[in-house]
Formats: sequence, structure tokens, C-alpha cells
Amino acid sequence: MMSKLILFIILLPVLSALLTHLLQGQLGRCVARISVAATLLSVILSGVLLWLSLSGHLVGESISISPWTIIYFDSLSILLALVISLISLIVHIYSLRYMAEESGYARFFMLLDLMTASLLLMVAAADLISLVVAWHFVGVFLYFLLGQDTRSPSAYRYAFWTLITYRIGDLPLVLAAVLLFQAYGTWSLPVIFEQLNQSPNAHSVFGLPLPEVIGILIALAAFARSAQFLLHTWLPYTMDGPTPVSALMHAGIVNAGGILINRFAPVFANTSDVLQWVFIVGFISAVIGSVLMLVQNDIKKSLGYSTMGQMGFMVMECGIGAFSLAIYHLIAHGVFKGTLFLSAGSVIHKARKDDGVPKDELYTFVVEKRPVITRKPWLLMAAITLIVPLAILIVSHWLVAEDYFQKQGAIILLFFGWITGAQLIFATYRTHATNLWRLVMISILSFAIVILGYVFISHAFDVYLYPDAAFREKLFAAASIEKIRFDILVALITITIVVGWLVAYYSERNRIGKHPRYTGRLWTMFYALISRELYMTDLYTLLTRTILSSANKLNIWLRWN
Amino acid sequence: MPDIFLLLVGLFLPLFPLSMVFNALFNRVQHVVLRCLLLLGWPHIGLAIIHSTDTNVPTWIITWALATSLLYALRMLALRGVGQWNSFLATSMWAMLWLTTTDLNQSMHHVYAFGITAPLLLLALLSAGLEKRFGAAYTDLYGGLAQSIPRFSGVLVVVILAAIATPLFPGFFIMLKFIMDTSVAMPTATFALLGIWLLWSWAGVRLLQGLIVGPASQNNEGEVSDLNLMSCWSYAVVLIALILSSVYLSGGLL
Repeated sequence: MMSKLILFIILLPVLSALLTHLLQGQLGRCVARISVAATLLSVILSGVLLWLSLSGHLVGESISISPWTIIYFDSLSILLALVISLISLIVHIYSLRYMAEESGYARFFMLLDLMTASLLLMVAAADLISLVVAWHFVGVFLYFLLGQDTRSPSAYRYAFWTLITYRIGDLPLVLAAVLLFQAYGTWSLPVIFEQLNQSPNAHSVFGLPLPEVIGILIALAAFARSAQFLLHTWLPYTMDGPTPVSALMHAGIVNAGGILINRFAPVFANTSDVLQWVFIVGFISAVIGSVLMLVQNDIKKSLGYSTMGQMGFMVMECGIGAFSLAIYHLIAHGVFKGTLFLSAGSVIHKARKDDGVPKDELYTFVVEKRPVITRKPWLLMAAITLIVPLAILIVSHWLVAEDYFQKQGAIILLFFGWITGAQLIFATYRTHATNLWRLVMISILSFAIVILGYVFISHAFDVYLYPDAAFREKLFAAASIEKIRFDILVALITITIVVGWLVAYYSERNRIGKHPRYTGRLWTMFYALISRELYMTDLYTLLTRTILSSANKLNIWLRWN
Repeated sequence: MPDIFLLLVGLFLPLFPLSMVFNALFNRVQHVVLRCLLLLGWPHIGLAIIHSTDTNVPTWIITWALATSLLYALRMLALRGVGQWNSFLATSMWAMLWLTTTDLNQSMHHVYAFGITAPLLLLALLSAGLEKRFGAAYTDLYGGLAQSIPRFSGVLVVVILAAIATPLFPGFFIMLKFIMDTSVAMPTATFALLGIWLLWSWAGVRLLQGLIVGPASQNNEGEVSDLNLMSCWSYAVVLIALILSSVYLSGGLL
């Protein structure tokens, strides 16, 4: 009985959207309260469901209503239902006042509700058709949410980019669904996964084992949704939409790629090379997203590229077999990116009063009588990046597992924590502080939390989402690479971090910005390339214009018949 | 199947260049009732001819049909006339009916043809509504319909979504069926179908943006009447009926 709550949680926003539409004439702007109340109820019910799941009161995995209306109430869907409804509730409440002056107020809340319902169905769909339908609807509703201001052609132009990229991502999922149905004769995901686990190589398609082909198609669908490199250009340009929509998009919708990969974990566990490619794509996206973020002068665009980088990280985590870590990452990212977007307006407002350009140190000391600010010692900060992860590795060895040092997946997890933590230390190193030791302590604490997060929280997520230890091992095994390649990768990351510190040291000694003539020219060329966003948008625009002009020429030749 | 029959079927389940006949006729006919009759009847004549003979359809015809569908889907991108867009989409969709000529019974085949045509009938009615209000149904001519006639725009949006095979409308399930039929035996055809589906979405969004987006034209404000509530509900009922019937027939409501 309690398991049917998940159905109610999905239907609640649909009902709310319907009521919002029907009652807008009578209730006016107060109609939005129906929407907020329904979302609040969704949050409460999702919370109850999560509590039942954690306390072991939920029996079973899915409810079947018809051949293609099957709903999961497993740990993944329950956890994500709570996350989605919670983020949606925050966006709803924020929008109450933010959108108050906008036209189409009721339509906005109706679309928000429909989007929430689609996202909830997407995470809970236990059959391929419901999944494809929800996946498709997310793109459609996002298009109309981004184009909330129907007077703005530019909002619709960029909304179109989003929609067309999402449609490109829909197609591999449709193909994967059809191929799975042809092979197993059912739309039900639990049944398909069970049969797949029993005999993974029973079917082949296009001359390849079925899991490999499905893995590639699912990864492609996830890449489009999570703005991975070559399919990322829509994300930083969708800023003409309302801020709450940006928050919802960056905090929830864009994470769909990671959710999809997690949903198809049993398929990926039976692949041999797909996850390695997933890792490479994620890595490229993370690097390019982070680099492009640094050159933006628009806060929302900068946050857009930051999201691309974060999604790259999330996909990389899937690529190393740390599927549950990707879920933890997407939740954490959703919370902090949602907050950043919702506060972007006040940052812009503040920037109008204070440009934020740092004042000269001599000026602040002599004129403003402020104490001289100092930078943290280079050697100390470099030492923290090396000692803290080592200490945590040893603690993990005692607390988590005896053979922690021997697990490739665990070492990679620690490396992820290390890279993230090193980024944090680099960032805090660059900031000047009046109280040096206070900042050093904060840095150590934050760094430790990041690494502990990766090691312990990911372990907790692992146990909740994938309780079967053998399956977790299988996932890591599917993602593992040869020992020599793994060692080279570890060495490369170590070298990158060490070189990073050396560059920081060198720059400080020589003052940043003073490059020799040759490296200066190279730097300028590189800057020009990234400031034009690698010419990706120009290329796509050219391609679009070519297609449209060919269509036009064809019509003229064929006399429009 | 004798060649003359193939030619005849190629006219009604349009194969390029025979497809130009339907499009020329549809553009020539201006009356909305006649246009609806054309849309309703045209593919069924082709299906009736096909099912009256028991010959298998040769594979090259399927390739030709897919090429026709792709050609019209591509050409839709550059169209501005709503009526012409409608006839091109009909051509692109009906050409696909060749894919299921071998494994579907006659009545189911007719249901498929009706399923993909039904939203086009609604679009023909809306196109006539635009012509009545503005004198022409063209994109980028007046724009801003969402501001000037919001109810009409809302219906137009849903009808275009239905026409381009958005879930849960019949076109979506029919496209799934086409993809299922070709995925194993003809993978190239599957990729072509997916590409065509993408082009429909692109063309649909271009049509929508050219009609509903932008500031309301000052000439339109106060002069153009919106869709009345009764008509609006009629469209809603038909669209809901289409969704329910397609969900029922595909097994989702069992």
C-alpha cells in the first residue's frame, strides 16, 4: 500500500497543473499557492517514503499497472524523488515573488508542475516507454519554461538550442528502448535487467554484444542531457529564461544524464569498454567547462560553464564505476548551484554599487587604514594537498575496509577527492586574508570534508543505492583499466597537481601577467580561442544556416510542391 | 504488384516526385473542408489499393519512401506557410506507411493512417482560423500570437506538438512501431526514421516560433478575436481523445 505513494507523488503535480490552469480565472495570482501546496505535499510524501525505505518497511521494487506503466519505488527513485520535489519546492517559493510582475504567471506555475511531474516520472519509470515519454517531456516543458517571456525572440532562440539538443539525446534512448524490447520482448526494466544479468551475451546487435550497444546509446542520451562536450553549447546560452528556471535546470534537469546512467547500471556492469569512453568524455567536458568558465564576464554564463564542468565530473565518476558517487555529486551540485542561481540577482544588484575590483594594497593600508593582507605560505598549502589525503587514506583503511589500498575503485575515489580538494586549496591560496591561520584552518577543514565526503559519504550512498557488494564490484570491474594504464593515469594526475603548485609559485615570484614574448603570444592565442568558446557555437550556427539554405534551395527547385 | 498499381499507390502514399501532385492539389484547394477531406481520404485510397492486391512490396520502394519522407521533412524547415507545412508533413508521414505494408492487417493500417493524420486535420482548421483573422497563415508575418490571441496560441502549440509525434499522441506510438519494425532488419532505415523525427521537431519549433513569439503587432491588438471558449474546449476534447485512444491501443491503459 505504502509503495503506491510514489504514484501519488508523481500524479500530484499533474493534478496541481490542471487545477492551476482551470482556476486561474477565479483565483488570479493566488492560484500559485495550489502549486506550492502540492509541491510541499510531494516533499512530505517523498520524505515519508525515504524514511520507510531506510527503515526497511518497503517491500518489493516496482508496481506494475500495465505493460508499459510500471513504476519503481527502489532506493534510487525514492531518494531522487525527494531531491527533485525539494528543489522544485524551493523554486516554486522563490518564483512566487520573483515572477509576480511577469505575464503568464499561472502558466509558469503550471509548466513548473508539469516539469516536476516529468522529472519524477523519469526517475521512477520502471518501463522503457514511460522513461522515453518522461525523458521527451522534460525537453518540451523546459523549452516552454525557458520561453516564458513570449515577447522575447532571443529567449526562444536559445530555448530552441536546448530543445534540439535534447531531441538529439532522445533518439539514442528511443533506439536503446526498441533494441531492448526486440531482444527481451518486454518493456519492463526489472525483467530486462534480471535476464541481462543471467546471460549478458545472449543477444547481439550490429555485430556487437547487446550491453555494449545499449551502453553506448544510453551514454549518448546522457551526454546530450548533461551538456557533455560537443553537446554542451545550449547550456551557457539559456540565460534569457527566468532565473528560477535556470536554477531548476542547473540544479535538477541537467543531472538527468547521471540519473539515466545509474538507472541502467545493470547494463553498464556487463559492458567492457563503454565506461572507459564515458570517463574520457566526462574528463574532456570537465576540463573544457572549467576553462571556459574562467573567461566569462557574465555571472550566469559563468555558472553555466561551471555546470558543464561539474557534469563532466559527474560523468567521469560514472566512468570509473562510482555510480552512487555520481548521485551524491548531483545532489550536492544541485543544492549549491541552485543557491548560486537564485542569489545571482542579488550579486548583480550588489555589483552595481561596488564593481568588486580589488583596490591597491598600499591604498587600503594608507588611506583606509586596514591591516595588510597576506597570502598563505606556498609550501604549507602544497603540503596540505599531500598530507590530508594520505591521512584520510590511512583512516579509511582502518574504518572502511582492510584492503582499501588494494581497491582500484577506492583509490580513484580518493583521487577524485584529492583533485577536488586541490582545486579548493588553489582557490583559497589565491585569496588574500587578514587572519592567515584562520584561513589555513578553514582550508584544512574544507579539504578534509571534501575527501571525507568522497570516501565516507560515497560509501554510505553505495550501501543504500547498491546494497549488493558483488554488484558494486562488478561495476568497478567494468570500469577498471589495465594496471599499467591506471598507474600512468595516477601519475599524470599527481604530476598535474604538483605542476599546478609550481606554476602558482613561479607566477607569484614573477608576478602574474608578465610572460616572455613567445609564451605571451601563445597565451593570447589560447585566450582568443577560449574567449570564442572554441568556435563551437560559430560552427553550429554555420551548420544550421547551411541546412536551412539547402532546404530553401530545394523548395525553389521543386517549385514548393 | 503490377507497376501501374505501384504508381497509383505511390501517388496516394506519396513517393517523390508523385508526391508533388498531392502538394500541388492541397495548395490549390483553399476551402478548409476540402482540405480536410483531402487529408482524410488521400492515404486511405493508397492503403485500399495496396490491400486489394496480395503482392509483397519490393525493398527498393521502402528506400524510396524513406527518401521521400526525409526530403519533405528537410524541406519543411524552410517553409513559412502553415498550409504548405501541413501538406509537407502529411507527405513525409504518409510515405512511412510503406514500411508496414507487409506485417499489418488492413484495418490496423487504416488506424495508423488516421492516427498520424488526425492532428493535421486540426492544424488545417487552425490554419483556416489564421487566414480568417489575418488574411494569411504565414510565419514571421504578424507574430506575437501568444500576446494577441493566447487561447488560440495555446491550442496551436498543442496541435503542432501532436503533429510532430510528441508523446503521448498517436504519432509517437506509430513512430515507435516503425522503428521497432526496422531496427533489426533494416538498421539504416531506423537511423533515417530517427533523423526524420528530429527534422519534424525542428520544423515544428520553427513554425511555432514564427507564429507565437514576439511582441503583439499593434495592428492586431483589439481587432483580432481569440478562439472562443467552446471551440477551445472542442479542440481540447479531440486532443484528449487522441491521447487516450493512442495510449489504449498501445497497451498503456490495459
